[in-house]
Amino acid sequence: MIEARDISVAIGGKRIVSHVDFTARPGEISAIVGPNGSGKTTLLKALTGELSYTGTVTLNGRDLSAMKPVEAATQRAVLPQSTSLSFPFTVREIVRLGLIGGRSGVLPGEDRRLPERALARVDLDGFAGRFYQELSGGEQQRVQLARVLCQVWAPVLEGRPRYLFLDEPVSSLDVKHQLIIMNIARDFARRGGGVVAILHDLNLTAMYADRIFVLLRGQLAAAGAPRDVLNDELIETVFDCRLKVGALPEGSVPFVLPQSAA
Amino acid sequence: MAEQSIFGAAGGVMAAEGDRSIRARFVILLLCLALALSVFLSLTSGASDASAVLVLRDWFMGGAPADAALAARDQLIVYDIRMPRVLLGVLIGAALAVCGAVMQGLFRNPLADPGLIGVSAGSSLGAVAIIVLGATWLAPVTLALGTLALPLAAFFGGLAVTFLLYAIATRQGQTSVATMLLAGIAISALAMALTGIFIFMADDRQLRDLTFWQLGSLAGATWQKVGTVGPVIVLALSAMPFLSRGLNALALGEATAGHLGIPVQRLKYIAIVGVSAAVGASVAVSGGIGFIGIVVPHILRLAIGPDNRYLLPASALLGASMLLLADAVARTIVAPAELPIGIVTAVAGAPFFLWILLRRRGIVDL
Repeated sequence: MIEARDISVAIGGKRIVSHVDFTARPGEISAIVGPNGSGKTTLLKALTGELSYTGTVTLNGRDLSAMKPVEAATQRAVLPQSTSLSFPFTVREIVRLGLIGGRSGVLPGEDRRLPERALARVDLDGFAGRFYQELSGGEQQRVQLARVLCQVWAPVLEGRPRYLFLDEPVSSLDVKHQLIIMNIARDFARRGGGVVAILHDLNLTAMYADRIFVLLRGQLAAAGAPRDVLNDELIETVFDCRLKVGALPEGSVPFVLPQSAA
Repeated sequence: MAEQSIFGAAGGVMAAEGDRSIRARFVILLLCLALALSVFLSLTSGASDASAVLVLRDWFMGGAPADAALAARDQLIVYDIRMPRVLLGVLIGAALAVCGAVMQGLFRNPLADPGLIGVSAGSSLGAVAIIVLGATWLAPVTLALGTLALPLAAFFGGLAVTFLLYAIATRQGQTSVATMLLAGIAISALAMALTGIFIFMADDRQLRDLTFWQLGSLAGATWQKVGTVGPVIVLALSAMPFLSRGLNALALGEATAGHLGIPVQRLKYIAIVGVSAAVGASVAVSGGIGFIGIVVPHILRLAIGPDNRYLLPASALLGASMLLLADAVARTIVAPAELPIGIVTAVAGAPFFLWILLRRRGIVDL
């Protein structure tokens, strides 16, 4: 379990996140949603220890601020929004970096083939020999996800659940790969791990998230199951947009929902 | 794809796709042979016709030489002039190339180099201060430290510049490359101006000593110098392989390296102190020799990729070979006089540096 109590983060004297409580349970996908600039990424960076914060964050019952980087790395992996490189690494070399400090949880001999397996999961079979810098943004994002998956390949290690932190994992992906990635996250949770994801697409969020945390101007505006949280009123206050939840478009305007995926 | 084809035939046999480790090992093996060859060439060539082969044969076989006087002269030339010079060349070439590679990993930029961003200028300033003020204002320092005063001053000069650069260019864990390069130019200029003041104060004998800091040279290599800076360089370089995995992770950014389990802050400190020590020691005996640190890692990245587990040892080997070859050119091209080696490395390295810039215009995003 990841438990955060009374988290506040200030950057350059400006408070970005104030007094947020957050809990992510193993077996669940916990989504963080909110408008641009509401402090989603800042909250995630506090939860992963990347930014200094006030309040407490515990990871499986242990205080995050007291953990060494290598200890934290065995219990959670983090996917940033985007990653640029200045050296010509191949895709395989990047994915292999996931095995540096953490523990994949597979048998020692199987580690060698893990980059290929992880690439296959994110639908990048045969990309191992390509240069990372030559890939498209969406492909790069999936390479990074494969690296993150290598780090915590087994969702549960030695009886303790492990966690995936995903900052907008599907933002630069086409719809097919959005579904593939979200299914990877759901699968990770079903096998006992925990997932914390920042999402923008409310339909994907409603479809996959077990719990939603809604941020507005650095504060928690609502938290709970999608059916309890997503309503017309909340969307108007938080996103400043008059939208109707569950309303079908009038006339013959086509619409495509991820929920309709076979 | 050209990168892959250079050594593709050698590396493609068993490796998984995108795994260049077998090719890298093969290249390292070749570089070992190249270094052995360079050492041999350096020992046997020079202004004098002394034969290193004969000297070594006498040494190993213990046979009586035909001409005792000539043999004694040759022995002197090979043992006391060429050998320390070759050893120093190997040490310094390896140090400069490895430090270049480590700096580039640390700053996440293929253009970072101790010479370019002012670390060498800081070391020079420290060394020149000792040469000029060692007998007067800094007499207590030189008395207390003896022959270590010069390398130590060079070390602290380099360390000060590196820390200053890092502090200036880093905000919230992100190191701005543009700020770093520009700050490096400013700090270099300042260090050179201060060095200029010392040169202004220097007397004639000191002036001659100083000239070689500016140009860089392996002339005047002695066993004593090897004994002083050798341990520093060997110690600093032997710490670097432990950083290689961390530097690989750092390519993804400091935050991501931390998430992967790398103690980033400690890694940075060890790298900075190690680089300052090795560059400081190199500058203390040879002055500023440029471009080895930027050219060598760049060539190797094309051949074996940027994985520091292979890049660092390969840089050490190729750096040593290249400096020995540059020194051989410096010694023979205007024999019996010799060219400062810094001129040779600059003449070959500067155009190469421009070529890197032209090839990858997008890198310096000022």
